[in-house]
Amino acid sequence: MTLAPVFLGSLGRRRAATLFSFVAIVLGVALGMAVQAVHQAALSEFARGLRFMAGEADLQVVGPRGGFADGVYAMLAARPEVAAASPVIEIEARVDGHPDSLKVLGIDVFALAQVEPQLMPMAVPATDRLAPLREDAIFLSAAAQTAFAVKAGDRFAVQMGNQVVPLRVAGDLPGAADDRSLAVMDIAAVQKYFASAGRISRIDLRLAEGLTVEAARVALQNLVPSGVLIEAPAAAEDQAANLSRAYRVNLTMLAAMALLTGGFLVFSAQALSVVRRRSEFAFLRAIGLARRRLFTWLIAEGALVGLAGGLTGAVLGHGLAWLMLALLGGDLGAGYFSGLKPQLEFQPETTAIYVLLGVLAGAAGAWLPAHEAATVAPAQALKAGDSGVLAGQLAGRGRPWRGVALLLVALAACALPPLNGLPVGGYLAVALLLAGSVLLLPAAASRLAALLPRRGPVPARLAAARLGAAPGHAVIAAAGVLTSVALAAAMAIMVSSFRESVDEWLQQILLPADLYLRVATPQSSGYLDAELQARIAAVPGVGSVRFTRHESLRLAAGQAPVALIARPVSADAHELPLTASVQRTAGATAIWISEAMRDLYGWRPGQLVDIPLAGHMARVQVAGIWRDYARQTGAVLIDLGDYRRLTGDRLANEAAITLAPGTRVRELADALTATAAAGALQVAYPAQIRARTLRIFDRTFAVTYLLEAVAVIIGLAGVAASFAALAAARRREFGMLRHLGLTRRQIGWMLAQEGALAAGVGVLGGLLAGAAISLVLIEVVNRQSFHWSMGLHLPMASLVLFALGMTALAALAAVLAGRQAMRQDAVLAVREDW
Amino acid sequence: MRRRAFCFALAALATFGDAAAVEFARVRRGLKLRFPFDHGAHPDYRNEWWYATGWLDLADSQRIGFQSTFFRVRTGIGEKNASAFAPRQLILAHAAIADPRVGALRVDQRAARVGFGRAGYASGRTNVWIGDWHLDQRDDRYRVDVRADKFAYALTLVPDGPPLLNGLAGFSAKAADAVHASYYYSRPQLKVSGSVTLASRTQAASGLAWLDHEWSSAPLPEAAQGWDWIGINLDDGGALMAFRLRRADGTALWSAATWREAAGKVRILSPNDVVFEPGRQWRSPRTGIAFPVEWDIRVGTRSVHLQPLIDDQELDSRHTTGSVYWEGAVTVSEDRREIGRGYLEMTGYGERIGFG
Amino acid sequence: MLSIENLSRQFNGRRVLNDISLSLQNGEYLAIVGESGVGKSTLLNLIAGLDTPDGGRLRLDADDYARLDDDALTHLRRNKLGFVFQAFHILPHLTVLQNVALPLWLLGTAGAAADAPAQQLLDAVGLGDRGASWPRELSGGEMQRVAIARTLVHRPRLVLADEPTGNLDPANAAKVLSLLAERIHAANAMGILVTHSREAAATADRILYLTADGLGA
Repeated sequence: MTLAPVFLGSLGRRRAATLFSFVAIVLGVALGMAVQAVHQAALSEFARGLRFMAGEADLQVVGPRGGFADGVYAMLAARPEVAAASPVIEIEARVDGHPDSLKVLGIDVFALAQVEPQLMPMAVPATDRLAPLREDAIFLSAAAQTAFAVKAGDRFAVQMGNQVVPLRVAGDLPGAADDRSLAVMDIAAVQKYFASAGRISRIDLRLAEGLTVEAARVALQNLVPSGVLIEAPAAAEDQAANLSRAYRVNLTMLAAMALLTGGFLVFSAQALSVVRRRSEFAFLRAIGLARRRLFTWLIAEGALVGLAGGLTGAVLGHGLAWLMLALLGGDLGAGYFSGLKPQLEFQPETTAIYVLLGVLAGAAGAWLPAHEAATVAPAQALKAGDSGVLAGQLAGRGRPWRGVALLLVALAACALPPLNGLPVGGYLAVALLLAGSVLLLPAAASRLAALLPRRGPVPARLAAARLGAAPGHAVIAAAGVLTSVALAAAMAIMVSSFRESVDEWLQQILLPADLYLRVATPQSSGYLDAELQARIAAVPGVGSVRFTRHESLRLAAGQAPVALIARPVSADAHELPLTASVQRTAGATAIWISEAMRDLYGWRPGQLVDIPLAGHMARVQVAGIWRDYARQTGAVLIDLGDYRRLTGDRLANEAAITLAPGTRVRELADALTATAAAGALQVAYPAQIRARTLRIFDRTFAVTYLLEAVAVIIGLAGVAASFAALAAARRREFGMLRHLGLTRRQIGWMLAQEGALAAGVGVLGGLLAGAAISLVLIEVVNRQSFHWSMGLHLPMASLVLFALGMTALAALAAVLAGRQAMRQDAVLAVREDW
Repeated sequence: MRRRAFCFALAALATFGDAAAVEFARVRRGLKLRFPFDHGAHPDYRNEWWYATGWLDLADSQRIGFQSTFFRVRTGIGEKNASAFAPRQLILAHAAIADPRVGALRVDQRAARVGFGRAGYASGRTNVWIGDWHLDQRDDRYRVDVRADKFAYALTLVPDGPPLLNGLAGFSAKAADAVHASYYYSRPQLKVSGSVTLASRTQAASGLAWLDHEWSSAPLPEAAQGWDWIGINLDDGGALMAFRLRRADGTALWSAATWREAAGKVRILSPNDVVFEPGRQWRSPRTGIAFPVEWDIRVGTRSVHLQPLIDDQELDSRHTTGSVYWEGAVTVSEDRREIGRGYLEMTGYGERIGFG
Repeated sequence: MLSIENLSRQFNGRRVLNDISLSLQNGEYLAIVGESGVGKSTLLNLIAGLDTPDGGRLRLDADDYARLDDDALTHLRRNKLGFVFQAFHILPHLTVLQNVALPLWLLGTAGAAADAPAQQLLDAVGLGDRGASWPRELSGGEMQRVAIARTLVHRPRLVLADEPTGNLDPANAAKVLSLLAERIHAANAMGILVTHSREAAATADRILYLTADGLGA
């Protein structure tokens, strides 16, 4: 460490370049850290919630959305494998005047004590020991009592579907005091009031001692009806993690690209610094500094910047995560964990990894320059007055063939299947595309320089000549720009394509109607019963009405439930956003599956499959595939008539209504909501649904805009850093030009044009690389992680604007960076030794 | 008399409002008990219990006590609810082993609503169960099955004669006011055979047991703080049941006894003829409650002395029936000579027996 | 003592040095004078171990170092050689004292153990009060005096100076040259001064002339 002042002191002398490298690494690490920390917080909160609900259960019996027959409970509870079985009905209820829904668990307090003691209700006052059994008693957690502004003894009217049930707050849930939306009632009362007689949502099982969970699961699974699955409580955790993993990995990927750009910046800063310190290194080598030691110290310089950036980034990342959690929620607005209030936790291992990534970016950026510096022969470097040669050696010598080769490998990587559900090939392709483009950059720069006119004002001619003669410097600046522009452009194209596709899809997937009517809590088992359906159809002013039933299917243990949508569908389903040709056999019942079903279950058009409907397996034919952006875990669409014939289920969740001629929409809406209890039914309009969906979409992608902005800042920082470093090195050149009679303004112009040229090369390359990356994102990454396709939509205007803005900002950055050198007494600088 | 069941009566009283719609059957003087019908459950009444206690000799010559109790409670809730989960009737059960080698009771408790076959009762014969715990009567033999975490037993109980009716032919008054009464009979001198599992070791067991069956809808008298009860199988083949209700100051509110002599002659004793005198006290290290674990009891002309198998036979049932009581095996002596063995129950020594 | 025998070096087939022999006694200060392009710097680089000869022997005291690898040469330079450059090569981000102490740092000595001899040498070159200054506050002559101090701080056996006054005005140049000679003698080291200037060479004990034909007096 005795040599620390020799090297680390040098970092302080190149304050601007060091600062930019530092900032780039800080941003990269901070973003990655933030995305990771937020997601980890959300996921662990989600898992904690699941674990909390599961209590001491070894296995959980789950079924479709409408639940399953409570006879399954009687059968399983009597099994010798089962030590204790706790039946649960879970409903989502509303309370008049409150925006938040209340999760009401119908439980058997006696079974609860053995399997989920954490949910035990406590009566207030404690004297009524039968309180947990009373039909009008509801127990709210302390937090929920606060949220709904009630206390023990208060009357509390709960609304579920079109029922309003007058209840009484009988006490609280001491084991779940913090859950803001949890309530517990007796299971019999829930069955009675919330019209789910004979049905339960879930059974939590504790197994007899000495049994392996898996063996018991297999044995019990054989006993339950079709569509009811038995799984370990951890399965739901895995499902949630899988569901959001793809989204998280995409964001982490973006952060990694920011970090990569930071690495580039360290590279350019170090490369330029090595150029400038060439004779210094030669001197040190001459007086006895070993080659390896020089190399190690130069890597250490980069690593130190990386370490500082990594540490600062980790701190900033946690701050950012906190902010994101507060503003966007645990899923960064993507809707995977709605209703969760995750707490940020400091994770030492993860934090250490991100700090290490910062160090690695710094060290990797310094690698090539350090290598070049260490191999320099000191005898020559000591004599050479000019330091410009090395820059050309570093970056000027293009490696176009290697670049082309990398692009070809990228193309091949796109064909890789997803690994463990992750689009690894896609990510590889993105990285290779970036690397290949950077390698092609020098060739592109000299090509561009050759195209530039050799006329015009002196500063312009000087700038063009410099790009042609020493493209190395420009390339170093342009590499950072290319990376950041590619990243930003790719994201912009992907998001715009996605948004356009979602918009088109919305218009296709919604049943054509003037208004929609649905039960106020669509997530629960609230529904329109046959009688209410008849009343709705009979409302004057209703032209036609079509009903939709939402159910869910459990097709495989460990997989999230699949949405089942029953609604009127024409024979060829032309009204659906189909992505493949229709294949139907006469006589077979048709189902229409989303793209995710094809990817997750391997179903193909024309195939006959069995799906569990109403506890039995029904053989149906996959008639076609449609695009679905709403349900990542898959959706099956079936004609309502077929569904009712197969299940006997006459209920519906939504109605799409067209107006009879001469009817006013508002009046009809009022008349429709009046068919059930106040607040039980909700009216929605097509435009409203579209606007709301797009608003959610924009919120989801808000964080990607942030990442784009960061990428742009890093790119600009790269331009500024390299020009700041160069400007210092070119003080004598500027001094000479001033001697020759160039004004300070002209030198400024020259720098601006050099900056614009360097950035221009980077921007052009970045746009091309970005377009290619966006194709990879759309066709490979999204297809593989979300199982949906989309059309390509280029946001031309914004891209052009962005490119011009980026170039102009780069020019400005170059001028600002060079100002320090111009301000110094340039005339004297000529005489100064290097 | 076990007024543990009255706990639930009190609970129901607390919310008389909605329970008022439910009409509980009432205990009336003069109703003649019919067997085997009255061995079965009486679901129209609010509370009912079957209560087996006894002494067992194990194959390794260890002498232990056992207890198994099944309560049935009609809650008055959900009488009109079509849900199969409707908690109209509950079954609660306590089981315990008093083992001198352990020095305290091994206890387990269960509670469930009646339904889905998980817990239930039969009419016409004694058959009540909760999960895999059963008390089942066939051909006038009782079979008790209990499987707890730390112990298990499967016992057959064979009576020596017809049921012993307490009080006025089974009408057992609990206070001067006839409102406070229950139907109550006992099965003393039950010959026990079967097996007991302790510490994962199953061994044969035999001995003598006592079974009580009592049902009522009546609440506990206001002035009662708790009660003391004994059920003793006398070595000469006789049987003694005695209880008293106790005021907060420890004085007797009401007492009664039934003495069946070896020859079979039954004497029903009135409150004046039954006197409970508490002796040595033992204080529970867990709850801090002091129980008199030795007693001198005068029944008519005879005086007996009770001595516990072990001092610590406290049973904390706050999770199920909501009380802490002492239920333990005792030996009975008269003039310093052992004349029988049975069980002693003491309630209301902590808080007033009830809820909370 | 330094002895050079039949040293030769060629670049791309062009013979730059041919059969050069030379020997230097302990405490002797030699000047080598030559025109530009005759191979002065090549000879100096070979002696300094910065370049490897095609033929011949190089011996410093008992060590023959004509065929050593880079690491061994680096080790030799660090321990036994000292350099004075035309371009000074004073590190701008180290203080004057730190610059002087730098060779000791390379040998693993730091802190007070390095500062004391560095200060001693700064005193000797007349800059004892400038140790805490930054190089940018020094004049060219002062910088070269710092370089001389640095050259001798680790007691090298041989000091090599390559046109040390090339960037100095004549007055300063004379001062620096006499200081260099004085300090080399004071340290009882051997010295080789390479220059194109006969006046500069005159400050040495002995002068050799390098021409295309070889080295001669």
